[in-house]
Amino acid sequence: MQASGWRYYGALCGDGLLNSYAQIFFSKNRIFAVLLLLVSFFDLGAGLSGVIAVLIGQITALLFNYPHAPIRDGTYTYNALMVGIAIGIFYQFNFSFFTLLLIASILTFFMTIWFATSLGRKGLPFLSIPFLLVLWIVILGAGNFTALRLSPKESLSLLRYFPELFSGSTGLIGHLPFANAIYLYLRSLGAIIFQFNDLAGLFIAIGILIYSRIAFSLSIFGFAIGYLFYYYLEGDFSQLIYSYIGFNFILTAIALGGFFVVPSRKSFFSLLLVIPMIALLISALDTLFSQIGLPLYSLPFNVVVLLFLTVMAQRYRSSGLQLVSIQQFSPEKNHYKFYNTIERFRSATYFQIALPFIGTWRVSQGYDGEITHKNDWAQALDFDVTDTEGKTFREPGLQLKDYYCYDLPVTAPADGWVVEIMDGIDDNEVGEVDLEHNWGNTLVIKHSEYLFSSLSHLKKDAFRVKKGDFVRKGEIVAYCGSSGRSPEPHLHFQLQATPYIGSKTIEYPISYYLSKEGDRYRFHAYEIPKEGEQVSNVQPGKSLKSAFHFIPGMRLHFEVEEDGRSYRSDWEVFITAGNLTYLYCHDTKSTAYFVNDGTLFYFTDFYGDKRSFLYRFYLAAHKILLGYYPGAELNDRLLIDAFIPAPVRFIHDFAAPFFHFCRADYRMRFSEVDDEQQPGRILLGTDSRGACMGRACNHIEAELLIENERLEHIEIFVNQKKTTARCCD
Amino acid sequence: MKEKEMEKKSYERPVIKPLNSGLMNKFGTRTEYTPVTHIDGVSVKSLIEEYGSPLFVFSERKIRENIRDAKRIFETRYPKVQFAWSYKTNYLNAICRTFHQEGSWAEVVSIFEYHKAVSNGVPPEKIIFNGPDKTDEDLRISVKNDSLIHIDHLDELYRLIEIADEMHKKPRVAIRVNMDTGVYPIWDRFGFNYENGQAWDAINKIMAGEKLNLIGLHCHIGTYMLTASAYGIAASKMADLALGIKRRYKKSISYIDMGGGFASKNTLKGSYQLGTDAVPDISEYAEQIAGSLLNAGFETDELPYLYLETGRALIDDAGFLLGTVISNKRLSDGRRSTIMDFGVNILFTAFWYDHKVSPAQEFSRFTEDTVLYGPLCMNIDVIRENVTLPPLNAGDHVVVHFVGAYNITQSMQFIALRPNVVLIDLKGESHIIRKAETMEDVERNERIPAHLENFKL
Repeated sequence: MQASGWRYYGALCGDGLLNSYAQIFFSKNRIFAVLLLLVSFFDLGAGLSGVIAVLIGQITALLFNYPHAPIRDGTYTYNALMVGIAIGIFYQFNFSFFTLLLIASILTFFMTIWFATSLGRKGLPFLSIPFLLVLWIVILGAGNFTALRLSPKESLSLLRYFPELFSGSTGLIGHLPFANAIYLYLRSLGAIIFQFNDLAGLFIAIGILIYSRIAFSLSIFGFAIGYLFYYYLEGDFSQLIYSYIGFNFILTAIALGGFFVVPSRKSFFSLLLVIPMIALLISALDTLFSQIGLPLYSLPFNVVVLLFLTVMAQRYRSSGLQLVSIQQFSPEKNHYKFYNTIERFRSATYFQIALPFIGTWRVSQGYDGEITHKNDWAQALDFDVTDTEGKTFREPGLQLKDYYCYDLPVTAPADGWVVEIMDGIDDNEVGEVDLEHNWGNTLVIKHSEYLFSSLSHLKKDAFRVKKGDFVRKGEIVAYCGSSGRSPEPHLHFQLQATPYIGSKTIEYPISYYLSKEGDRYRFHAYEIPKEGEQVSNVQPGKSLKSAFHFIPGMRLHFEVEEDGRSYRSDWEVFITAGNLTYLYCHDTKSTAYFVNDGTLFYFTDFYGDKRSFLYRFYLAAHKILLGYYPGAELNDRLLIDAFIPAPVRFIHDFAAPFFHFCRADYRMRFSEVDDEQQPGRILLGTDSRGACMGRACNHIEAELLIENERLEHIEIFVNQKKTTARCCD
Repeated sequence: MKEKEMEKKSYERPVIKPLNSGLMNKFGTRTEYTPVTHIDGVSVKSLIEEYGSPLFVFSERKIRENIRDAKRIFETRYPKVQFAWSYKTNYLNAICRTFHQEGSWAEVVSIFEYHKAVSNGVPPEKIIFNGPDKTDEDLRISVKNDSLIHIDHLDELYRLIEIADEMHKKPRVAIRVNMDTGVYPIWDRFGFNYENGQAWDAINKIMAGEKLNLIGLHCHIGTYMLTASAYGIAASKMADLALGIKRRYKKSISYIDMGGGFASKNTLKGSYQLGTDAVPDISEYAEQIAGSLLNAGFETDELPYLYLETGRALIDDAGFLLGTVISNKRLSDGRRSTIMDFGVNILFTAFWYDHKVSPAQEFSRFTEDTVLYGPLCMNIDVIRENVTLPPLNAGDHVVVHFVGAYNITQSMQFIALRPNVVLIDLKGESHIIRKAETMEDVERNERIPAHLENFKL
């Protein structure tokens, strides 16, 4: 979208300007940005110089044909902004000053691009390194040019005109306990944009609080750790007071406690180790840099954050502390999104693995089983077939063929290549085991690098595939037997990271399956079947699958009726370069990302107008099972946004990294069909409830009617307020 | 056990038998003299004492076991399976309802059976209406009820199109297809032939007419099929038709009905081996059918349902006939014969099978070849032409096995009336499910013209 016109570029640069302010604190929050802009204008010279620096950066980016998205979100210019503010504070306004500002701003942009590319390749952020380098260059280089006058411009400072405003806020804090620590905290905040006073700090602190409760607690927590470290190790506090270098604690705490790392108990805990490193670095570098007359600024923050992120990224397995994968520019969103994803999908990165058989089988031995699933082979599943009385055979049970599972087809759990086959081992007599060939006749299928599935104790000479074959999910590959260590026919199934028979097992969930209790089915997603469960694969149905089969380019039109008014809602289906599909509502400019994997239809994200019908649909059809199973219930978790009142959510944000006391649960059930085998008309109901400490909050109920393989009618009740929508062509 | 200990030892008359040791045939001798004294824990003696002799006995446990077995066998090989109980095999309401409780639909071949299924509470849309004889009125009823109509011939097809038109309803139909499956004789009297193009002709007529909703394909390749692979061939041909319809008309076929015909464990007359050895397991049929359908190339979400109308194989071994010896007799050629109190009028299947007959009381190890006759005063009344049994005395009881299929529905009041039918439930309680007939039952529908009312002898 390369729209021309002043309006477009005005909006682009305006957005970019505001975002540059917010980005200093890893945010894109407008209110916060405006507060920071105000604070920067506490010194009119600095404020103006900052704005000019951003504009120069933006114009440079545009002239060099850089993409508009990073210009709009301030990524290219927040370093220039800080450089602008800094030199605006240092030097007097004259022709030389503006020349310097121009050169420095362009240099900052170049540096930004350099570090964005070189660090970006390693998946690391460039933080404020460009600002740091350019400012050092200016400080070291400007000395030679005497036309630049280093002097405070008191005439442009707000302090000169409203001194009581500044002293008043200072006086106010003086009455509070720990006043000295609070002064230090606020002034350190102010120091980030070169305003070393309490009023600026106060403004910024309020801005952070509006932007993010988690970031606010992190800023205090990080600062407190640094402060206490200095206090107990009897550090030289003058280092902290001089230029309020303690802001490094605050920035590091927000960056590693909630921005680059998903905020959690663990991320808070990790700060206990990281912040003292900052303190040590400040102390060490201060000694070193004072020799060459350079201030440290944010150097310790940059060093430690890059170090820590590198260490995190190089881990062999990412458990515990989690890096944020899709940056939401808010610790809250990073936190809720991550934990919601975990609750919903365990992990979105799993390869889809189905059960390797047709029909209902029993898990006769689960993970960490009593009999053989131990040590390196603990994460394996054994399956057999039972009758209604729980027996695995018909009387007398002396021959293999008396066993229900014997000679049943075994299917491929996912697409892949057959990489290993062991055949030719006789099936044992009932009760006998062949310890010499522990695994019996076995088939290993390669699904991807480091993911193999292995099926063991298969029937001799009954393989349907050979080594090297490509098999499709659900294809019959062999038959259940009783070879190897198998006293009675059963199927051993395990996933492993290496291609050998008898490799060590790895924990890996079955993507979707149903468990049967009596006549009722329960749907499971990304779970590991438990011992004793009667399990089967999910069979998707045509009409449900078609109704939710939204293909890019497709348009959906709804006649919506609510509160006595009716309007049309038009959606279009799009696909991103990264193969993410989404519904886009043109009227409200809202986007709802969805996935349809053939078994489930579910929404993942919503951006835009939360009063739109699309948002209600996003909640009401959050997850739909695409196969008709009467009595089956599908559960999911929703983000709490739509379900908990805003003031409660505000408080909840503070607690969120440690515990959740609010939740929103989603449930889907089939209510009516015309024909159970070939349903043409399906009525399904969903219901989502928010709860705060067990007390019910908002409640959304919905009924979706599917007819003629499409979504015909939708009825949504938000706290009993009814919205109906009819699909029209 | 107590009952057994208290019993007086029964008299066995001496038997003279030539010794032929060393000349055994390779299969050994077929003796059937393991006594069967109890059925599902209820003694034969007490059943006969309570309900009389002869007596049909059904085991509810066995019926449920059979259908659950069959369902499991098919469902672990093919993901979408639906059984429909074949009414003609045994339409006693108690039996039908047992199958319906286990999830089976109803498969009927006449409006009489259709009404029976409806009155048993089967939802009409879960009734499959087969057979060549459906009157206009029959068709109207099933169209109105939205039952599944399986069309047998072109005349029925034309009539159904007219009826659909006049009723402004689109009936759900399937066509019955017959074909060569490598088993002879070919059953080609029902339905439309696959090889000569009749089936496609019927399909084209239905699709072009747009009056009928063709949702299924039906076949029934024969009865008592001893070759499982014939089903594999049939299923492939059915799948081929279904995929052809998809290609040509963009219409997905909802179900493929493979009919019935699975053999029970009875021994066919003239068969060299015993039924239990010669007859394929249900799993062999299942493997063939599921294998063909899964390999046919259907899209995963368009895999048709597999309907099965299995009758005989699910009920035959759940039915027993208890009877009593009337007398023993030497025939002119010296063979022994035994006259039983049940004949071919109630054991119609004796014409097809060498039914297994077990004595219902303990015996010594001596056996003798015997002809088993029924009580009817007709030369055709032979239960077994030759059976090795221990010597039986008048008043002794026997148990005839595998009589659950077709005997109840094909029996008649030829010379003698039909006896009680009893069901033993899962707790071992017995229930009469059809009372023995009385003369009033038989004469209820008779009318005597006035001029025949009186006579003088």
